[in-house]
Amino acid sequence: MKKAILYINQFFAGLGGEAKADYAPEIKNGLVGPAMELDKILQNAEVTHTVICGDNFMGSNTEKAVERILEFLEDKEFDIFFAGPAFQAGRYGSACGNICKAVKEKFGVPVVTAMHEENPGVDMFKKDIVIFKSGKSAASMRKDLNKMAQFGDKVLAGEKLGTAEEEGYFIRGIRHQVWLEDEVPASDRVVDMLLKKIRGEEFISELPIPELDRVPIAEKIEELSKATIALVTSGGIVPVENPDRIQSASATRWGRYNIKGMDRLESGVYKTIHAGYDPAAADADPNVCLPLDAMRAYENEGKIGKLHDYFYTTVGTGTTQAEAARMANEMVEYFKNEGVDAIVLTST
Amino acid sequence: MKLEIGNFHVKDVVFGNETKYENGIVTINKQEAIDYVKEDEHITDVDIFIAKPGEKIRIVPVKEAIEPRCRVSGGSVFPGVTGDLQQVGNGRTNALKNTSVLAVGKHWGSFGDGLIDMSGEGAKYTYNSQLINICLVADTDEEFERYEQQKKNHAIRWAAMRLSEYIGNCTKELKPEEIETYEMEPITKRSPEVNALPSVVVVLQPQSQMEELGYNDLNYGWDTNRMLPTFMHPNEVLDGAMISGSFMPCSSKWSTYDFQNFPLITRLYKEHGKTINFLGVIMSNLNVALEQKERAALFVAQMAKSLGADSAVLAEEGYGNPDADFIACFVALEDAGVKTIGCTNECTGRDGNSQPLVTLDKKADAIVSTGNVSELIELPPMEKVIGELQSLARDGLSGGWAGDEILGPSVREDGSIIMENNSMFAGDQIAGWSTKTMKEF
Repeated sequence: MKKAILYINQFFAGLGGEAKADYAPEIKNGLVGPAMELDKILQNAEVTHTVICGDNFMGSNTEKAVERILEFLEDKEFDIFFAGPAFQAGRYGSACGNICKAVKEKFGVPVVTAMHEENPGVDMFKKDIVIFKSGKSAASMRKDLNKMAQFGDKVLAGEKLGTAEEEGYFIRGIRHQVWLEDEVPASDRVVDMLLKKIRGEEFISELPIPELDRVPIAEKIEELSKATIALVTSGGIVPVENPDRIQSASATRWGRYNIKGMDRLESGVYKTIHAGYDPAAADADPNVCLPLDAMRAYENEGKIGKLHDYFYTTVGTGTTQAEAARMANEMVEYFKNEGVDAIVLTST
Repeated sequence: MKLEIGNFHVKDVVFGNETKYENGIVTINKQEAIDYVKEDEHITDVDIFIAKPGEKIRIVPVKEAIEPRCRVSGGSVFPGVTGDLQQVGNGRTNALKNTSVLAVGKHWGSFGDGLIDMSGEGAKYTYNSQLINICLVADTDEEFERYEQQKKNHAIRWAAMRLSEYIGNCTKELKPEEIETYEMEPITKRSPEVNALPSVVVVLQPQSQMEELGYNDLNYGWDTNRMLPTFMHPNEVLDGAMISGSFMPCSSKWSTYDFQNFPLITRLYKEHGKTINFLGVIMSNLNVALEQKERAALFVAQMAKSLGADSAVLAEEGYGNPDADFIACFVALEDAGVKTIGCTNECTGRDGNSQPLVTLDKKADAIVSTGNVSELIELPPMEKVIGELQSLARDGLSGGWAGDEILGPSVREDGSIIMENNSMFAGDQIAGWSTKTMKEF
């Protein structure tokens, strides 16, 4: 039999309300509060432990609380982790989100919780974990535990999972293609949506526009003449042998190459491997894509303090935003450690 | 304009002594067809194979698909490309339905080429899997691009168009089994009843991102990179004015077959006079420079407004950089008061986690989505390969790779493959066939 653990707060553990909200984390063998019901309805696992923590304790000492709970779990065997349901309780929702996310990252097991759509925990954590839509209060406890348990059973049995909508959890921004069972072609769907939009009727876009992840413009550099600047490109400029085998499209790899003492990138020594634009100009003169010549001139003129000794490069075409962000974060470590104040990022 | 497409519903394609159409069967004199193709001295090696739905055949690298046709009223099927310029969209054109001519590389693939499986799990990824494909497998003397990732594939694409005309020509003297009529009154000469209906334009953004000529879609033979948005009659698109190019990752491609049958256009034709007043097509394009994108959007919005369009259907042949053109155009149309519906695919990554389009705007509130270019696809070996399987891994096709630390090479020793949807031939069917959509998981 597989094993499950449930996280609940002090209130649902029967310890008390606000007065007991500072209750420090603890783990109990067996079933406390909603764990009893969960254990009853869960088919493919038994609930072996209940983790309890006061909402205030988790809210004001999140790191400590999470750390302690992860320690509790280290020597336990479990295949799935549940939390809540948290209904409309904001602090409880945030606690369920924090602990589920940490457990998923540390132990790699599936995590499941449930909250009401107005719970702020939904927006905070829906991208990271599966959050089922719960009722407003404990009146819907049984119903909500049922949803969590049914999903848990499916996951544990390795059954094919439906879409977020079919399963009933909040969308996470994870989108995959599916074939429509009724095989309605795009042209029919376009006309249907068109007529509805013209008539002012309700329609559902197949690509709901998510909130944009905008990066604020960086702070101004006060003294450029003292700043160290690095060159970064998504234009695919590499040493001709492409030593890090960066892909020509949909890149997952990037490189950093020493340019110390070099005044320009020579054709034949550097080239572009980017498959999304005509490479002729950049191969003939790689500086048009990665302007080492111009930056070195600025350095000699004293306009910038120093050009960083390496340039950083990858390929932007077809590269997903998630991979691009990961690669950028890896580059940022070098910038921080090696005293880079700003970068010039060139594209194509 | 009044266009009659004379349909011949093909049940089988076979080789024989005489190229002809009889009782639903196309017979091709293979040697005569090859000789006709070889009139172009740039074709150095050529063979023809037939691949039918249900057969255990994998075809790669596929560069183009064309419906075999014959312009009964005279002239070439693709004016400005395979023959002299003339107006199309009027008169009679015969079509051999359920078939297509494929341009297949004998060895060499390129970035925009694709793969077609004729049966099994892989067959659901392409529209062409349902057709009887007459595969022109050829090599050329285009040494300048043999080892380039980006290829113009000029000789082989033109050879396939010429072969499609050669085969289509066997219907010239025959009576079609069915006639589809596409006819619309000029915009200012329509009845009050039709004028009272909500008016709709189709805005198409064919692939035109390459500054160098030879890679982009052509409009009456004119490179769409050198074109500003222009107004066209829908019949022109259906009747050979537009041909596909050789650049975009393949699942986003509109093949020439797609242009000839464009479902978004034929579907709006069906609504014309009933629920909508179909005004026509604004043929825009896709550009790499921001100013070019903005300029095209300005032209499109102005034209839609001046035509009195209440609504627009907007579709892009591409993803990534072209998403910026798509959204810019969507926003410009909405700002002009034209209620717009978009049709596009997405790039959410293999894990589905990435932003679906490169740029987004709240005004793009009505989109039909046709697939994810980066979905990972694993397929078992096929009994027969037409073309060269290794091209998927070796030649830089957008959805293939020579090696990967975790996944290994795209083409394995036993002939099984692992690839991204990117290289499924015209797989996301943005022209309107797609029965795929995108869902949250």
